[in-house]
Amino acid sequence: MNQWWIDGPATPPPEEVAALDGELAIETHGLRKTYRSVRGRAVCVEGLDLEVPVGGVHGFLGPNGSGKTTTIRMLLGLVRPDRGTARIFGHEVPKRLPDVVGRVGAIVESPKFFPAFSARSNLRLLADAIGAPRGRVDAVLEEVGLAGRARDRYKGYSLGMKQRLAIAATLLKDPDLLIFDEPTNGLDPAGIREIRRTMRGLADRGRTVLVSSHILGEVEQIADTVSIVARGRLVASGRVADLIGAGGRGSVRVRVAPDDLIIATSLLETGGLTVRREHDALVVDGGPDPAALNRALGERGVWARELVPQQADLESVFLGLTQHEAPGGRTHAGGRRRGRRRGAQPAEPTPPETGATQEVAR
Amino acid sequence: MTRLLRVELRRLWLRRMTWAACVLALVAVGIGIATQVGTARPPTDAQIAEAERFYADELAWWEEHGEEEVASCEEAEAAEGDGADYGCEEMGPRLEHYLPPTSTFVPDAAELDGPSVAADVDGAVAPDPAVAAVQGSLWSGWSGLPSLVPVATGLLMLAFVVGVSFMTAEQGSGALGMWLTFEPRRRRVYWSKAVAAALGTVPVVLLGWAALVGGAYAVYARFGTLGDVTGPVWVQVAAFSGRLVLAGAAFAAIGVALGVLLRHAAAAVGVGAGVLWLSTVFAYSLGGLQRWTPALNFDAWLRDGATYEVVRTTMGEDGTYAEEWVTRVVAGWQGGLYLLALTVVLSLVALVVFRRRDVS
Ligand SMILES: Nc1ncnc2c1ncn2[C@@H]1O[C@H](COP(=O)(O)OP(=O)(O)O)[C@@H](O)[C@H]1O
Ligand SMILES: [Mg+2]
Repeated sequence: MNQWWIDGPATPPPEEVAALDGELAIETHGLRKTYRSVRGRAVCVEGLDLEVPVGGVHGFLGPNGSGKTTTIRMLLGLVRPDRGTARIFGHEVPKRLPDVVGRVGAIVESPKFFPAFSARSNLRLLADAIGAPRGRVDAVLEEVGLAGRARDRYKGYSLGMKQRLAIAATLLKDPDLLIFDEPTNGLDPAGIREIRRTMRGLADRGRTVLVSSHILGEVEQIADTVSIVARGRLVASGRVADLIGAGGRGSVRVRVAPDDLIIATSLLETGGLTVRREHDALVVDGGPDPAALNRALGERGVWARELVPQQADLESVFLGLTQHEAPGGRTHAGGRRRGRRRGAQPAEPTPPETGATQEVAR
Repeated sequence: MTRLLRVELRRLWLRRMTWAACVLALVAVGIGIATQVGTARPPTDAQIAEAERFYADELAWWEEHGEEEVASCEEAEAAEGDGADYGCEEMGPRLEHYLPPTSTFVPDAAELDGPSVAADVDGAVAPDPAVAAVQGSLWSGWSGLPSLVPVATGLLMLAFVVGVSFMTAEQGSGALGMWLTFEPRRRRVYWSKAVAAALGTVPVVLLGWAALVGGAYAVYARFGTLGDVTGPVWVQVAAFSGRLVLAGAAFAAIGVALGVLLRHAAAAVGVGAGVLWLSTVFAYSLGGLQRWTPALNFDAWLRDGATYEVVRTTMGEDGTYAEEWVTRVVAGWQGGLYLLALTVVLSLVALVVFRRRDVS
């Protein structure tokens, strides 16, 4: 695997990174976006308050349809928010976006270039648009390992190559903030690893990386901080370690002989522990001491074959938060029609947190 | 802005669609020139010999019966009274009538003074000098130089399609989203695209037209049927070229605007072609409103004036209704203003939409 991110543009001195500490690369307040459709207004992002510190990798997590892409589009001025404010490096967007766009590289959803043009032509157009020197195009193509295929048409590229080309495009600007929206979608494991290392590498060189994903494992290994959204709202944010800590203490996985499963369960339960059966093993929750478990079982002649302390991971935190938040998908506030119907049937239950619905009915 | 414009111009010429349009333009020009061969060719010796034989036969007959014919004609003319002219003096046979029609590169001025000028049975409508001027102009004939105008119109359609696809390809591929993350100032982005399309099509239209005129000239010159090619004719050709180039730029800009408004190339081209087609097919049923149809106005701009016909119903003294066709004129300047207004209005609407629309 080539490590192309290593010999990229010059690394800013660490002091500079430290100096920026505490500043925010991205800051949104009450960001809201609804989409009109025949069925009424679909709330997509609802009062999102997002804070992304300068430096490091920031995971932007949420299930599919939770509004991550839409939020990113609003930050980039591609989609107009209904309400709320957003700032990038302190500049209000989209109003002052032209001032700051040169510092932001972004890939929204999937890479999109002119299919019939070569990679080089595509990048040259972009470079010319921002007045970047032509030499930069070949440099970034070299960086992402596409120099050999630069003359090929974009439409013949594999997904991984497209993704790398998109990264090359973002590097044309030598940006301080990189936004990657589900960058590993559809990639093979090698491609995923490469993208992950790229993002980590960029962050290690002092850039701020915002990476959105609906898969936690994707981000957990490389993210310093995360924000978790569900149904267009922020449900949790902070350092990964803190979030995991908040997710509860760990559990212990106990494997015994299949014949001993039942007796082991009752032994542990009589000891006041919560036991779950998971396939051919038992999982004891509540952060028990493995040695105590071993002793309790051994005293009655049940010998554990395996005792594995389980670290609570972000996955469980994430699932806990997002499942709780999104029982039935997004809120649909049905416009005027819905409002009238509600007037006629006051007994209709109001879904939780339907600020939008109430607002429309008003 | 100029940087963006330069980039967009480069992109325009990187596109295969633009080159395909050039090839199509070449094909259209080739066909246009080829059709001139038939009309430019003077009668062959065999045709002349045959014509002379028929003419001789007819002349022999006329020697015998000519006087009777003229007499009965004049009798009828006198019965009609009121200075009616049956053209009895010109009834005799003529050699031209037996020869295949031949045209010249520059139509004969005499041929252009068409007799159809508001010819009115009652003489109630005086011949309109404006109509006469348009119908007598170089560009309103049907053979030679003016017969190249439909091919020029075809070049304009190509400019339109190039403009449409320049915009819709970018929207459809999603590359516009990427572009806007590099240059978020959408007003600049829009104008750079519209102006690039307009400027970029100028050479295609101009070279296509030059090739067409040059080719046709060569064909007529080859057959020695150029006619009266004088300095003023070339001035007219140059003026036409100028109007054509401006129209080409306008068509490309309209294409970009419709591409933004309708998003899909097929929709934009369909609407463009549909409007032209409908306004041509239903022209007569529109009556006086024809004055405002796009096809007529574009034609008026190109040819520096165009005519259309309306039916006028009048009540005679005896209380019966009579219908008559009246020819009217759309001036060249009206056509030009129409095209300009259409381009500006569509571009501004498209700009507003482009600036406000969510890009996903
Ligand atoms: N252009 C659009 N028109 C209508 N609905 C949209 C549009 N874009 C996104 N949505 C809806 O908004 C919701 C959030 O979408 P998105 O931001 O793409 O979520 P995510 O990126 O988190 O998966 C989805 O339910 C999606 O269907
Ligand atoms: Mg998404």
